[in-house]
Amino acid sequence: MEVRILHVYPDLMSLYGSYANIAVLRRYLEGLGCAVTVETLAPGGDGDISKADFLYMGAGTEGQARFAAEDFARFGPAVKEAAGDNAVMLFAGTAMELLGKTVAMAGGEVYEGIGLASFTTVQGKKRLTGDVYGHTELYPEAVVGFMNKCAVISGVETPLLSKVEMGWGNEAERGPEGFHWKNVFASELTGPLLVKNPKLLETVAAAIYARRGEALPLERPGDEWAEKGYAVTEEQLKKRVES
Amino acid sequence: MRKILAVILCKLGRAAGKLVGKGSSLPGKLALKICPDILGRVELPKHIIAVTGSNGKTSTVEMIASILRADGKTVVYNEEGSNQIEGVTTLVLTHADLRGRVKADVLLIESDERYAAHTFRFFHPTEFVVTNLYRDQLTRNGHPEWVYDSILPALHPDTELILNADDPLSSCFGRGREGVKWFGLDRCAIDLERPSGVYHDGARCPVCRSSMEYDYVHYNHIGAFRCTNPACGHQKPRTDYTVTAVDLDRCELVLDGGTKISLAFPSIYNVYNILAAYAACRECGVGEQTAAGVLGSYLLKNGRMQTFRLGGHHGTLLTSKHENSIAYDTNLRYIAGRKTDCSVLVIVDAVSRKYFTSETSWLWDIDFGQLNVPHVKKVVLSGRYCSDLAQRFSFTELSNWFVTPDISAAAAELKAAGDEELYVVTCFSDRDKLLAHVEKEG
Repeated sequence: MEVRILHVYPDLMSLYGSYANIAVLRRYLEGLGCAVTVETLAPGGDGDISKADFLYMGAGTEGQARFAAEDFARFGPAVKEAAGDNAVMLFAGTAMELLGKTVAMAGGEVYEGIGLASFTTVQGKKRLTGDVYGHTELYPEAVVGFMNKCAVISGVETPLLSKVEMGWGNEAERGPEGFHWKNVFASELTGPLLVKNPKLLETVAAAIYARRGEALPLERPGDEWAEKGYAVTEEQLKKRVES
Repeated sequence: MRKILAVILCKLGRAAGKLVGKGSSLPGKLALKICPDILGRVELPKHIIAVTGSNGKTSTVEMIASILRADGKTVVYNEEGSNQIEGVTTLVLTHADLRGRVKADVLLIESDERYAAHTFRFFHPTEFVVTNLYRDQLTRNGHPEWVYDSILPALHPDTELILNADDPLSSCFGRGREGVKWFGLDRCAIDLERPSGVYHDGARCPVCRSSMEYDYVHYNHIGAFRCTNPACGHQKPRTDYTVTAVDLDRCELVLDGGTKISLAFPSIYNVYNILAAYAACRECGVGEQTAAGVLGSYLLKNGRMQTFRLGGHHGTLLTSKHENSIAYDTNLRYIAGRKTDCSVLVIVDAVSRKYFTSETSWLWDIDFGQLNVPHVKKVVLSGRYCSDLAQRFSFTELSNWFVTPDISAAAAELKAAGDEELYVVTCFSDRDKLLAHVEKEG
């Protein structure tokens, strides 16, 4: 199977190992026998959203996200159309904020997102950081990660993590986190969340296959180190939750 | 009255703390409770030098103190590194008389970058050195632009800024200000044509977000940057204090085209720390020869580099802050630049010594691929997060890496065989777990 990945603004929205989500997905798909091509879209550049099997934007600073939003507005209708057509997408960190209606910056400026979702973002002057341990409706294993944001996101009706036992969610500590609609995955969790969560990686890959009308092959390449790394972090964070 | 009480209690608290080996923040905290504006009520020395930034603060401050003392000046500085307002308050009050007068020529402050604005609420430095701003400690710092915004209110209009001309972000502090002194490196033999590393924070202009070009870089995105947007004009400024040549193999640098300085540790980091210290001291009236004399072969006391023996291996500990990819990259570049066969031990056991976190995103920002050179014979990955390290290494071209989760076992295995050089790359939080198994030198 040929898979086209479109990495949006890789040199702008690149905080804390954001690129690794693409690296690990590519390797996973290639391990399944897919021929993967990764195209990049730079601000001001051209990209065909409709041809992408997987669209990805990583985390940036609030200023970088503001700049990204200006350019990304050009692609808003195409992204919404593709999302409605079950295209698979991941928006990590501040990129998630661009999917909503508006983003209010700490200095008072308000700019528009692409309106794929009805939520709104209000950035503040306090950094909200800390480990996150939660659960999604998509699979039983815990989701682990780290939150590094200054925003409160209100009005998310379909969160990615329906339960957050530790750490910051969209609006509050231990509140739901992220956004999930059709095959659009979004989370403010920092950096390489597909690396840290092998099951989420599998879920995203399965969505790419499903859109092509195929199921993930039963025999799939294992990733010993990803599994072990996840197990250690999951154990450490669970201990914290239970203490 | 509250001022005198605060001074007395701080002095007593500090003396008691020293007896029981406690840190230096608590007495200052107590004093601030008694008299919140105590730092505005004391009489401070004529020169107040502050140093902040992501990397190199402690080393730079240490060198500045040595140079100033060699010049005959009395210097008060936070040698123990307590660099938030409580530690600074302890420092000031323990060196003040009961009327709050600090009798010294210079008050030298290493300042935490996130809390500089808080520290300098009641007084401001006469000279403020910002070493650089990189990705560092994301678990508390957010990101470099967040730190930039935190430092900005600490920069009083009357303060003379001493800034790194080669850093696209921290150099923004100088925009629109007069009298800024710039330090930086000219094109040197060690330079690269384009930014290095697995991410590129200098790809976009921090002012207008247009793409940036580089004439050369010294490491990562630090070098001769230039925004491509003519209306913006953000670019490397002309330097006032300049390293005009660097030869890391011969452990030598040249200052301002004339003065040669020997490097005790041939790292590009060390070059910048030396240059920042030199610039600050020259701005305080120290002569070129006095400053250069101290800096020549200056040995840092902060123990970030330590040599040892482990079985047949001669070892070097290269302390690299976890959560700081450029610190790692610089030490990996140092190893890659050696000539003799070596093994490398990378340890990530506790991400921080101060707080708990399982956050390992920062591993993906480190260019471990630099170790893919013939003389690096083996890389051993150890510590609680060794599997995260292994996952990261599996995305490099390297194949000669091995995982030994237990640090004692890793040390024992290395001790049992081989006599090649050994480099240990880890953080303050983890280094003693290895040093417990070695014979230290010096």
